Amino acid sequence: MRSPSRRFVFALAVIASTSTIAVDASAQTVTAPEVKTRTDARLPPGARVRDGAEVELLVLVDETGHVADVAVKQSGGADADAAATEAVRAWTFEPARRDGKAVASRIRVPFAFPKAEPAPAVGAATLNAASPEAPQVAQANAPGTGGTATPASPPPAAASPAEEETITVVGQHQAPSRGASDFNLRLGELARVPRGNAADILKLAPGILLTNKGGDGHAEQVFLRGFDAREGQDIEFTVGGVPVNEAGNLHGNGYADLHFILPELVDSVRVIEGPFDPRQGNFAVAGSAAYDLGLAKRGITAKGTIGSFSTRRLLLTWGPKGMSNRTFGGAELFSTEGFGVNRASERGTAMGQYEGRLGSSGSYRVGATAFATHYGSAGVVRADDVEAGRIGFFDTYDRRQGGDSSRYSTYGDIEVRSGDMRYKQGAFLVFRNMRLRENFTGYLLDTQEVVQSPHPQRGDLLDLSVDTITYGARGSATYKTRALGQGQNVEVGYFARGDSTASSQYRRQSRPDVPYLLETDLDSRLGNIGLYGDLDLRVTKWLGLRGGLRGDVFTYDVKNNCAVKSVRQPSRENAPGDASCLSQQDLGRYREPTERISTSSSVLLPRGSVLFGPFDSFTISASAGKGARSIDPVFIDQDKVQPFAGLTAYELGVAYGRRLADVDLMARSVFFQTEVERDLIFSETVGRNVLAQGTTRTGWVGALRATGGIFDESANVTLVRSTFDDTGLLIPYVPDVVVRSDTAIHGELPLTIEGHKVEGALAAGVTYVGRRALPYGQRSGTIFTVDASATLTWRSIEVGIVSTNLFDQQYRLSEFNFVSDFRSAGQPTLVPARHFSAGAPRGVFLTLAWTFGGDA
Amino acid sequence: MRRLASALLAGVLATACIGTTGSEVVSFEAYAAGPEDARGAGYTFTTGTGYTVTLDRMRLRIGGIYLNRSQPISGGQERACYLSGVYVGQLASELVVDVLDGRLQKFPAAATGTRDLARVGEVWLTGARVDAEDDPSVILDVAGTARRGADEVPFDGRLTIGKNRATKQTDPTRVGADPLCSKRIVSQIPVDLTPQDGGSLVVRVDPRGVFANVEFAELERVSTTPPMYRFADADEGQPNVAIFSGMRSSTGVYTFHFNTSSNRGSSM
Repeated sequence: MRSPSRRFVFALAVIASTSTIAVDASAQTVTAPEVKTRTDARLPPGARVRDGAEVELLVLVDETGHVADVAVKQSGGADADAAATEAVRAWTFEPARRDGKAVASRIRVPFAFPKAEPAPAVGAATLNAASPEAPQVAQANAPGTGGTATPASPPPAAASPAEEETITVVGQHQAPSRGASDFNLRLGELARVPRGNAADILKLAPGILLTNKGGDGHAEQVFLRGFDAREGQDIEFTVGGVPVNEAGNLHGNGYADLHFILPELVDSVRVIEGPFDPRQGNFAVAGSAAYDLGLAKRGITAKGTIGSFSTRRLLLTWGPKGMSNRTFGGAELFSTEGFGVNRASERGTAMGQYEGRLGSSGSYRVGATAFATHYGSAGVVRADDVEAGRIGFFDTYDRRQGGDSSRYSTYGDIEVRSGDMRYKQGAFLVFRNMRLRENFTGYLLDTQEVVQSPHPQRGDLLDLSVDTITYGARGSATYKTRALGQGQNVEVGYFARGDSTASSQYRRQSRPDVPYLLETDLDSRLGNIGLYGDLDLRVTKWLGLRGGLRGDVFTYDVKNNCAVKSVRQPSRENAPGDASCLSQQDLGRYREPTERISTSSSVLLPRGSVLFGPFDSFTISASAGKGARSIDPVFIDQDKVQPFAGLTAYELGVAYGRRLADVDLMARSVFFQTEVERDLIFSETVGRNVLAQGTTRTGWVGALRATGGIFDESANVTLVRSTFDDTGLLIPYVPDVVVRSDTAIHGELPLTIEGHKVEGALAAGVTYVGRRALPYGQRSGTIFTVDASATLTWRSIEVGIVSTNLFDQQYRLSEFNFVSDFRSAGQPTLVPARHFSAGAPRGVFLTLAWTFGGDA
Repeated sequence: MRRLASALLAGVLATACIGTTGSEVVSFEAYAAGPEDARGAGYTFTTGTGYTVTLDRMRLRIGGIYLNRSQPISGGQERACYLSGVYVGQLASELVVDVLDGRLQKFPAAATGTRDLARVGEVWLTGARVDAEDDPSVILDVAGTARRGADEVPFDGRLTIGKNRATKQTDPTRVGADPLCSKRIVSQIPVDLTPQDGGSLVVRVDPRGVFANVEFAELERVSTTPPMYRFADADEGQPNVAIFSGMRSSTGVYTFHFNTSSNRGSSM
């Protein structure tokens, strides 16, 4: 039996700096060599490396910056030595300099291989150079990072003095893979595929469709493996460990707006499609997506974009040389008039993070993000009105639609190793505000109440606002030991979170534009404390058991400021009239219009995976787990145990991973089934999800990632059938077929300018979405779009052209069947009709980026 | 394993793209007509009050026809403009129906709906939006002669449903009760039909129900030579209230029938 093709990447957390070191008494100034390009160390198929092997190399860098000689100073075993040596030979350097003159130098480069992975093919992401098991930042050392320089004997070939220095690199541990549906999405060259925002990165994971009917500042609607996760309600989103889902958001409990993330500062995204890891918390119903931030391109980069729809974007990022990739800053200004009526938006974003060391075995991070936007939204239009020419494809019925959104957060965490233990502790604080104005139904819902003054339909524009403060912490302790001849891990941890949310929803009349009805006014204090235990057991080299138990307690304390909206026998002397919130009972007896409700619920969620293999590069995994989503505060009752949207998920997957002719291949095939006890289905009339019956999703996912020297390809297909348990009918809106391909081709061009090669890259993202089931037996149209980019890079300058929807397909991004009355017919339209939000037409954008002070 | 995977994949492929969310969106034609035996002017019938009425003209403006899935709970809810249930059929199109013609008169636009059982029908009698504050359109235009014994009452009338029909509420807790829109909607007409795609809906209007309780002797005389009596366009006076109520009666006036195939060729 052959050993698996293993691929370990040791990303440099600290990139070369321009530290200057004095080497002799003559006070000559010597500049250490700096890494320009680096290649990951990869173990070939069949390689055998002991757990935690470390290799230390002595590398001679000549005056041209190439590796002239490599010697093994400390062996980690033959295979590890060979992999490290092969990797470092491909590195290039800015040579060391003495008084400005290039000189040869000798440096020390240690590599540390992570513990052996029983099922690396299962664990490794198709899109990631790193095994999920591997630390994101490992112990690969790079020169010139400001570490202690130690004199070394000049190599025989060296004509000039050489320096040897050692740099210790800090890093973060990542939880082990949970099977074939655990995707660690690392962009690599696929970062060149056009992506409008950080949410678009999710498309690299199979089965994900993003739509947006609410405008540029509205959270993307996410569909994942048969789930209509709405604006993230069924997916647990985190960024750097900080939760993004908004508990108690009136628009949707768990609303997750990712627009505050600069995509250029995303290092990787770990997507687990299903609740299989005990670390996954609230909202991990369809799965979870954990964004990890980092900036590989060091120095200062200024990037400008102009293009269609008067779109302008200015981006600045910076990452000091010699510091961790996780030390960075970035800011963005963006404005556009949008591709149709009422789609203009403006936003500003700023993110910064610093990662530092705690002694020799620890690290810490502190960071902050800020984001604010104002945007318009076209909402939906009726298909019959478009077909009759009463309204345009890109038009809107109500120009007041749109919103405002802001998010300010700060966070920090530490990770320390002590003997066999590793401790992590983090805390976060988030201030969040959003206002959303949507009109899905036109003039339909303003029912004439007996006590109200006579009125016609005044309009259904929802004016929703949410103000939230989220605070919390998470921590864990991991114990490593050896048993059965294998490395074993035990981890326990907790997650604690509180949310103070004030939310309200008004309806506004069309003319004059003033609110006439307060529908909801809640002050919520929500708590969630969860704890988990997770075992990572390796029974043999080919059998791994991973899983554990998670428990969560949710507390609700909700003050309903508009608890009384009608009385059967109102006071004649003090008739309620048009007031929304009443302070009287029958016959006018006084009461306050508020009501306070508090309750709690708890849940236990077992989760586990079994991994067999690898056998001839194939690894089989089976996973099962329970997940839960806390209930929307709107639905709670005093002291009643609140039902969760509980679910049970199963999957069986096989992964194939190996390196063939310099091409890294990773392929996966996964069958899955998810049973949800009480699902949430979107209701257009109330503008948010409402409770429905039990549902089941059954499907298959296929994914392939192939990475070669000049290309990178990621493709995936998802087929799923989603049905209601009681009727067997399809769940509306979810796509049953999603196909996605991301391709990048890159390399040097036969063109040299001033002695520097010009590099070129072409990239494309192709999306196909089958006809989605809609209510009343309808099917949507298909979606087929191609986004493409072409980039030229010369030295530190990059010029690119990006086209979204390259073939200018006119398509409907979202489609719905529901009742609306936009007064486009002679009388109210009261039966369901097709509505849609338009997909963007072709856009062409020019980008120019300049990086200086970095390693490019 | 490979066989199992193939079988599972085939199963998923076979089922992923099929199935339905239930029901079906349908489109169908709609017609209105008088009684099947009506052949034009001179249509004669006898009312419950003992009058033999001969109609020379009867035109009814129908602004829309709706079908609802739910039978309202009797007395359970104040009438608003729309029923609280789910509408399964709508014809948002206007037609002035010659009630004295039994042939099918086609509405200019098609109706739409869903393939669900309808239990309640609605006829909207309006020339404007149903919730408009006023509407000068003539909804009912009638002329004829009523005879009882030796009495002969030639009459005519043009009824509208505008501000003239607004209910004056004195109870401050019921200022929104009985809104004007509800006066324009003949609701809770019992039906038992399921709209089908490509089918046709026929609504017949029976004038006998409209005049069933009218006391013609109390009509206001507007001319002596020749003698002429007229329905006042107001909610006062027995004959005026009775004809308005008759026009809005949910039973005995409007009957709904659905043909699963189109009525092409039989319409006017």
